[in-house]
Amino acid sequence: MVASPDHQVKPALFTKKREELSLSSQQLEKLMRGVLSKGACFRFQGKGCSMSPFIKDGDVLTIAPVQASAPCFGDVVVFTHPNTGKLIVHRIIGKKSGSYLTKGDNAPEGDGLISGTAILGRVSKVERDGKKPFLGLGPDRFIIAFVIRTGLLPLLNPAWRFVRFFIRSRPGE
Amino acid sequence: MKSKVNFDAAYIPSEDLVCREIEGELIIVPLVAGMGDIEDELFTLNETGRAVWAKLDGKKSLKAVTEELSAEYEAPPDEIKRDVIGLAEELLKRKMIVEASKK
Repeated sequence: MVASPDHQVKPALFTKKREELSLSSQQLEKLMRGVLSKGACFRFQGKGCSMSPFIKDGDVLTIAPVQASAPCFGDVVVFTHPNTGKLIVHRIIGKKSGSYLTKGDNAPEGDGLISGTAILGRVSKVERDGKKPFLGLGPDRFIIAFVIRTGLLPLLNPAWRFVRFFIRSRPGE
Repeated sequence: MKSKVNFDAAYIPSEDLVCREIEGELIIVPLVAGMGDIEDELFTLNETGRAVWAKLDGKKSLKAVTEELSAEYEAPPDEIKRDVIGLAEELLKRKMIVEASKK
């Protein structure tokens, strides 16, 4: 139809694996907004270490729409940063004048005030090597957000390593 | 196995998908069980597919789509018909289009 010599061998419809398609932050946002606006969840692979240790580079995240209930303290949300336009996954550590204070669990600085309209969705599930990490999104998220806000996380790192070692060394783990 | 399409029927993209043009490619994310999973599968259409897809408006039959494309492109009508039917069957099999009268 487009009169190219190899037209016959070109399939009109084909699938692509995610790794074959390099999506920029804006492009990912475009797809995510489209899916979430239909009330569906969006599953993709996260990049970066700003949410370590609770979300690590390469973890697969499921984002749920926020239309049903407003995000709250401790939630991990996806938003478009007002200054950089980048798609960010960080935790809500406060609320001010109808906007949200967000910060990466492992980020040195907060993101400033993020308006509710910039928030696309809430992280509802994290998968690491096919398994679900046991901390970060449950009721513990309130404590994590408090610790992040007060800047105590670096001090708790040794304790965290001990807990992790203890859990991993349990029989059957 | 491909689904049979009706050449005289009009088809329209399903509501259970998100379609966006990104870097010159039309990317389709199917919504399966309330989830758009780009880690699992993304669909893209080549130029031929996009030309057909753009005309699937639920009003024009596949026959009318074929006729329009035959007028727009310098390619044998049989080849165009084969492309239109082939793509429609593939899309129908994946539930990415629905017959407009059955919507």
